[in-house]
Amino acid sequence: MAGGLTKKQAIDEAIRCPQCAEPACNQGCPVGIDIPAFIRLLREGNPSDALEKIREANHLTAICGRMCSAPCETACILNEENAPISIRALERYAWDQGHKRGDGQGAKGKGQGLTGKVAVVGSGPSGLTAAVELSQLGIKVTVFESLHLAGGVLRYGIPAFRLPPKVFDSELEYVQSLGIEIKTNTAIGQSYSLKELFEMEYSVILLALGAGVPQFSQISGENLSGVYFAEEFLMRVNLMKANQYPAYGTSLCVGKQIAVIGGGMAALDCARIAVRLGKEAFVIHEGTEEDMRVRKEEREYAKEEGVKLEILSKVLEILPDEKKSVKAVKCMRMDFADPDSTGQWKIMAAAGSEFILEADTVIMAQGHGSNTNLVKSTEELRLNKNGTIWTHKNSFMTSIPGVFVGGDCETGPGPVVRAMGKGKEVAREINNYLKRHILSPSLTLPTRGRES
Amino acid sequence: MFTIINKQIIAAGFKRIDVKAELIARKAKPGHFVMVMADEKSARVALSIVEADSQKGTISFVFEETSPSTQQLGNLQIGGSIYAILGPLGVTISLDEVRKGHVVACVGYGIGIAQVLPFCRELRKSESKVIGIAGVKTRKALLLESQMRLTCDKLCITTDDGTYEKKGYVTGSLREMLQQYKIKLVICFAPPIVMQAVCAVTKEYRIKTFVGLNPLMVDGTGLCGSCRVKVSRKDALACVDGPVFNGHEVDFEDLEIRTKHCQTEESWYDQTFQASPLSGESITLKRWLGGLLKNRP
Repeated sequence: MAGGLTKKQAIDEAIRCPQCAEPACNQGCPVGIDIPAFIRLLREGNPSDALEKIREANHLTAICGRMCSAPCETACILNEENAPISIRALERYAWDQGHKRGDGQGAKGKGQGLTGKVAVVGSGPSGLTAAVELSQLGIKVTVFESLHLAGGVLRYGIPAFRLPPKVFDSELEYVQSLGIEIKTNTAIGQSYSLKELFEMEYSVILLALGAGVPQFSQISGENLSGVYFAEEFLMRVNLMKANQYPAYGTSLCVGKQIAVIGGGMAALDCARIAVRLGKEAFVIHEGTEEDMRVRKEEREYAKEEGVKLEILSKVLEILPDEKKSVKAVKCMRMDFADPDSTGQWKIMAAAGSEFILEADTVIMAQGHGSNTNLVKSTEELRLNKNGTIWTHKNSFMTSIPGVFVGGDCETGPGPVVRAMGKGKEVAREINNYLKRHILSPSLTLPTRGRES
Repeated sequence: MFTIINKQIIAAGFKRIDVKAELIARKAKPGHFVMVMADEKSARVALSIVEADSQKGTISFVFEETSPSTQQLGNLQIGGSIYAILGPLGVTISLDEVRKGHVVACVGYGIGIAQVLPFCRELRKSESKVIGIAGVKTRKALLLESQMRLTCDKLCITTDDGTYEKKGYVTGSLREMLQQYKIKLVICFAPPIVMQAVCAVTKEYRIKTFVGLNPLMVDGTGLCGSCRVKVSRKDALACVDGPVFNGHEVDFEDLEIRTKHCQTEESWYDQTFQASPLSGESITLKRWLGGLLKNRP
C-alpha cells in the first residue's frame, strides 16, 4: 500500500491549501471535520493539535485517514486548476505522527449525563461512530458484536493493505478508553432478542448492522465449486487470515486464474488480495473504467500491482468442467450505442462478440444487501422491499419505538465515511429522544417493546 | 472465555465437550448450532448443540476430529477455555403438528446421531412415540448409543460392515419401519448422499421429512454466502434460513458439488496438520483409550 507522507511532503501539501473563506471541502465531509483548520495546524508543524482538531468531529481518524472515499477531495476547489489537496493523506499524517497511547482518557464524556443506556448493535463504522458520539454526550453505551473480533466491515471486509489490523486495533483501544464497552460473540436477535435488551435496562437500541450480505445474481453457474462470493473470500482472508494457512486454521481454495466479477471496491480488494496470493487476477466490469464505483487512486494502485481490468465485458455464464468446478467465464463485449434522449451514451452488448476467459476461480462482487438476517425474526421490525430497515420519515426511528437504525442497513451499501456520518446523525437523534423521554433518573422508563 | 467443564471420547474419532455458556444454554433449542473457535487462530466450526442445560448454564457439542480446527478443539483440556462460541444460531422447526401418540422416525448417520438426539428428546416431551434409526460405518464409530436407547421408544442400529446389530443402511431400516408403523414425520441428520436416499424413500410414502444440512460455513450469521443451498429452487442460506429444511425441497446434487469442493480444499495445500504433543492431551491416555475402544467386545 501507499506509505504515509514524510514531514516535508506533509508541510508542503498543507501550505498548498488556499484556506478558503467558504471551504467547499467542509461541505463535502459527511462527518463534518473542520478541514482548513486542521490543515492550518499541520502547516505550523503541529500534528497532535491537528489530530485534536479532527477528533472534535471524528474520533476514528486512523480509519478515515486510510480508507475514506474522500468526498472532500472531490469538492476541493483546486480540482479546477491542478490536483486537489490530498486531505486524506494529511489526515493520516496527523494520526500517524500525532497519536499517543491513552489519548482517550482525557476526552471522556463532557455531556449532561443522561441516565438512559444505549445498546449499539454492530461494531462497524456507523456503530462505533455513534457509540463514540453518545459517550461524548455522557451517555453509557454498550456495543454488541456477533463475530469474535470487533470492527464489523473494517475487520472482515477491508484488507490489511488498506487498513492494517494493528492500526485498527490501536483505534479500537482508543474507543474503549473513551468508556465504551464492546461485547463480542453476542448475536442480537439470537443470543438476546430486542425485547430482552429493553428489559436489561437499555432504553434505546441502535441497529448499526451494516450491509455486507451477498446478493445472488442471475448468472448461471453461480453454484459451481470454485465460485466464491466476495464476502466469503474477503472474510476468509481478512478476518480468518486464510492467507497464513496452516498457521491459521481457515483454508482458502483458489486456482491460479481468478476472475472477479464486479466494479466496486470489494471487487478491487478481492483482486488485489488474489495478486498478493501470487495468482493472476482480472476484474470483469460491464462499464468503462471511469464507471467503476471506486476512486481513481485505488484503481491506479490495483493496476500498478498487476490486476488486469477486463472492462466493457458482460458476464453471460460461468462454464463448468466435468467435475462441476469452474473452467471458464463466458463474456460478451459491451460497446457504446447511440446516445439516448438525455444525451448520455448508452452501453449495449455488441452482438456476436462472445468470448471465453479461462479461469479456475470466480469471485462474485456485485453488490451487497443489508445485514438483517439475525433480526428478521423480530416480527415488529418493518423492512423495506429492498431489504433495508424501514424508518419513520425524516427520523432514524424504526417501527419499534426506541429502536433506531443507522448506517448502511438503512441506506444500503455505500462508502465507510457516509456510514460514519449517519452514525453521527443518529447519535444526535438518540440524544434528543433520551432528553424527551427520560427526564430525570427517578422517572421510570415507559415500557416499550411491542408496538400496539 | 468459555470454560470447558467436561470432555469425553465417546467413540472412535468422536469427542464430546461440555462448556459453560449461560447465554447460549438459556436459549438453545433442537436444531440450533454454534460457531466455535478453539483458539484465536483456528477456523470457525459450525457444531450442533447436542444438549443444553439452562440451570447449569452449559452446552454440549459432539464433533469428529477430521480437520485441523476440530483437532485443536479436541486437544483442549478440562478446565481450559474455548476462545469464542457464537450462538445459538439457525432457526428451529415447528414440531407443533406432532401430538400425543404420533410416531416420528429420527434418522441419524454418523455424527448425525448426535444432531438428531435433541429432537428425540424434544419429541419425547410431547409424548409422541419416537423411533430412532442410527447408522454408522462400523461398531467403533457408534456414538451416544445409551442416550438414544433411553430417549427412543425403539432403536434400530445399522452398521455398514455388519459389526454390530444389523448389517445394512439406514434407508433399509427406515423402509421397514415405514411399512410397520404409521409414521407422521421423519427427521434426518446425515451426509448429503444419505439424506438424499432417505428423502427418496419418504417421498414414496409421502411423509414429511426434515433434513439438517451441514454445508461449509465461515461466519454463521449470513454474511459470507458459503452455505448457500437450493431449497425449492430458490437460494437459501443454511445458517440463517436453516439448517433444518423440508427434505423434499432441497436440491442435494447442488449441495454435494460444494461439499466436495470443501474436501479437496483440505488437501489443497498438501500440508498435514500435526498437533504438537506438548500442547495436546496425553499420548498415553489416547493410546490407552484407543486400545479400549478397539478391544470392545
